[in-house]
Amino acid sequence: MAQQPDSVKAIDTLGGEEHIPVIATFKSGLIINGQSNETLHKSDLLVDIAHRFGDIGGANGGVHNFYGLDNSTDILISLKYGITDRLMIGAGRAKGAPNGVNTFQKELYYLSLKYRLFQQTTDDHIPLSVTLFGNTVICGMEPLDLATSDADFQNFGERMSYTIQAVLARKFSRTFSLALMPTYVRRNYVSFQDMNDLFALGAGARLKFSPRMAIVADYFHSFRTEASKDYYETVQDFKFYNALGVGLEIETGGHVFNISFTNSTAILDNQFIPSTSSAWSKGQFRWGFNISRTFTLSKK
Amino acid sequence: MKIALFIVGLIVFIGAETTCAQTQLVSRNAIMSFFSSAPIEDIKAESKTGYSILDVQANTIYFKVDMRTFKFRKGLMQEHFNENYMETDKYPYAEFKGKIKEPVDFSKDGTYDITVTGDLLLHNVKQNYSTKAVLTIKNGNISGSSNFPVKLEDHNIKIPTLLIKNIAEVVQVTVNVTYENSLARKM
Repeated sequence: MAQQPDSVKAIDTLGGEEHIPVIATFKSGLIINGQSNETLHKSDLLVDIAHRFGDIGGANGGVHNFYGLDNSTDILISLKYGITDRLMIGAGRAKGAPNGVNTFQKELYYLSLKYRLFQQTTDDHIPLSVTLFGNTVICGMEPLDLATSDADFQNFGERMSYTIQAVLARKFSRTFSLALMPTYVRRNYVSFQDMNDLFALGAGARLKFSPRMAIVADYFHSFRTEASKDYYETVQDFKFYNALGVGLEIETGGHVFNISFTNSTAILDNQFIPSTSSAWSKGQFRWGFNISRTFTLSKK
Repeated sequence: MKIALFIVGLIVFIGAETTCAQTQLVSRNAIMSFFSSAPIEDIKAESKTGYSILDVQANTIYFKVDMRTFKFRKGLMQEHFNENYMETDKYPYAEFKGKIKEPVDFSKDGTYDITVTGDLLLHNVKQNYSTKAVLTIKNGNISGSSNFPVKLEDHNIKIPTLLIKNIAEVVQVTVNVTYENSLARKM
């Protein structure tokens, strides 16, 4: 009988003293196209390979292109490293996905920085996770001899573009997480009537349906001016679309496999946010995958 | 009215506290650790905030630990431990209620080899254990230690076939506890 009050007391004593951080809001640093709030642990090295195939349907898809698998629109290889449990750095190279109208840039090298400002706690002492992300992209291609393009570089500065983003995320239950990503993309050099400074709002979600599998999705709405849209639509017969990705995420110990469908062709934020021109409704969506592997380098 | 009730409650609580303090020893920093040895890697983790009550009259022992306080060398392991294996968002605590089989004279200094039998609630699955332990009594200060194997399958903790070489099927658990209050004055 004496045991009954003991266990009640123990519940009062345990927990409550420490705010326990909420883990695994997302399972990797990328939802599909966009960033999640997650960063690496200290001394962890992440190798990340991402791939986007060609259009599944539409004029460039179909059986003669093996539903897009014959083509690759973008490929990214990157390394990321956790300096602390909150701060990580990254570097990588993407093939780049020029659409031949508003962007011609390819051969993209990037450096990135991600900092976990707040982490949600289980007792809602902090109700929201906030992570800041920034990258610098350098276009490494030979200058293009086309004055209307964004690739006839006159100086090095014109090769640069940047993304600054805040990721606000909350894990609502053990299976459902949501993220909002207000984003600013700065491109030093853009084609005629394009925008050097572009704002966008991203949203992402994860729904875990088995211990190791989840459905993930993300969407970016870019705030392009009517003037810019009108110019491209009337003069260039070219339409911009917002990027939407839907995927399946499988986690197996140190690996995370992310298999997705997305209408965006490019992988880097600096390109898929301002320059997506393929539409889901025209069958211009594709298979994509991200595979990441974590290595722990700490020996302690 | 509410204040009056609160005061009454407080008095009752304090009363209860003092009466049971005679026979109950408490620790809030019991050290619990486990070790898994598998072909690919060894995994170990430790929590230093285990809660324990030893009732010297009833000869019972109680442990409770917040599974989320286990610290690993690799951050990712800690994440997997919480999310995939222990599911600590659903089952945050592990609990043990046991009885000491042998009679122990808690007023006498010495080292006692004892057998503890009881139920361990881990990952929401209760299992009966019987394990050897050592109690050390010195000037009324009591400490204890034990070390026993836990078969993950017994507690419905699943290892995917792909990771069978990373995680041992039987994990060695170690408990070390030193009780805060001493019996010296009271007995």
